[in-house]
Amino acid sequence: MRIDIAKTWNIFVRNIPLFQYGIEMTLLFAFVGTFAGFVVGLLVGGIRAIEINEYDSTVIKVLKNIGRIITGLYIWIFRGTPMMVQAMFIYYAGKPVIGWTPITAGLIIISINTGAYMAEIIRSGIQSVDKGQNEAAMSLGMTTMQTLMYVVFPQAIKNSFPSIGNQLIVNIKDSSMLNVITVTELYFQTTSVAGSNYRVMETFLVSAILYLILTTLASFLLNYLEKRMDSEGSMKDFCS
Amino acid sequence: METIIQIQHLQKHFGNLKVLNDVDFDIHKGEVVTIIGSSGSGKSTMLRCVNLLERMDGGHVLYHGKDILSGQMDVNEYRSKVGMVFQSFNLFNNLTVLENCMLGQIRVLKKSKEEAKATALKFLDEVGMKEFANKPSTKLSGGQKQRVAIARALCMDPEVLLFDEPTSALDPEMVGDVLDVMKKLANEGLTMVIVTHEMQFAREVSDRVIFMDKGVIAEQGSPEQLFEHPQQERTQQFLSRYQSR
Repeated sequence: MRIDIAKTWNIFVRNIPLFQYGIEMTLLFAFVGTFAGFVVGLLVGGIRAIEINEYDSTVIKVLKNIGRIITGLYIWIFRGTPMMVQAMFIYYAGKPVIGWTPITAGLIIISINTGAYMAEIIRSGIQSVDKGQNEAAMSLGMTTMQTLMYVVFPQAIKNSFPSIGNQLIVNIKDSSMLNVITVTELYFQTTSVAGSNYRVMETFLVSAILYLILTTLASFLLNYLEKRMDSEGSMKDFCS
Repeated sequence: METIIQIQHLQKHFGNLKVLNDVDFDIHKGEVVTIIGSSGSGKSTMLRCVNLLERMDGGHVLYHGKDILSGQMDVNEYRSKVGMVFQSFNLFNNLTVLENCMLGQIRVLKKSKEEAKATALKFLDEVGMKEFANKPSTKLSGGQKQRVAIARALCMDPEVLLFDEPTSALDPEMVGDVLDVMKKLANEGLTMVIVTHEMQFAREVSDRVIFMDKGVIAEQGSPEQLFEHPQQERTQQFLSRYQSR
């Protein structure tokens, strides 16, 4: 069987509304998942970067250990199982209780899943920030929270920005797994189109090209943001 | 002379290694104290204990008679009154020169942006770094960074400024600039405690010189006393090693 270019083009043109809707959903899931995952990652990664000191009081030590164990379990489970399986389990477990739609469930699932990866990215970003930065902030009388907000996090995020951005590209592709809970993203739409015209290869070629365009645009966006971060005074808003 | 900080019976050990052994040390208002001694004698550790960057294993820090560690005073508030200049500068890499000098004023002293900026520019001018105000701090040379670090500490209006080997990480030609700034501050009456290997500088600016050896204060006195007529044998040995170099 050979691929017919004209037919491929026709499939695309005739189904533009369906593909467009799929693209919109895919982008929604990719952006929300990456951003929410980033916020989760800041929190979880921040907890994981806290050091346990020998001179901490017993209560503090216990609290820090609990934080470490809970965040460790979270990362272990969500990095260690496929998102497709997580989606099925969480969606159907939550449905009778909360009665949520696939979209709500999907957004939460992709955010939690991304958060697990982000947490490790942020943790290593935090650990890459020189200890002297902390000491300087402490010597000015800044609280731990202020030090994190204005000194450590901005540098940690900047250091790990390429890895953070990479998650956006991963999510553009991996949101396709949410088709198992009937989220109508690009992959789901493609199967619908292919199911009605029986031209599986051509239809999925359209889909592949669309995915490639999306990921290419995303990497342009990330490159632009990275360049802007490197230029002077990019972190101004953190101080003034 | 009014006493600002009293360190009493300071103990510090890293594992089994005793770094500081029952050190007593006072800082008086307007005084310039330099601490000298060979590497590993505990001088930097003592300085870091003064503003609690290093946890003490025993002893007390009294600030105007109030015990800091017993919770009579907020540790962060205390630290804002005791400035610190580090060997490795530790300017905030994500901020410009000006922002480095403003952050603590805005977040700790709760000053308005305008007020913080005016103060920052005043002290940047004093250390000769005003024209670099809008540069990213990462773009400066070591000597420039250290002068900004001094300005940053001065912006907090500290009662005492601690210097932890401020010129040890600098290229030789930069050392003079930083020492000049410090001399100027000393002449203006700022209370300073300086850990240094610059003997000539110590002799010129100090009101009191402390010689530390093996975790204790071995000898202290005026620069003349300590450099010209050291009483202890180990002080004599240390100084002769310096002079023969």
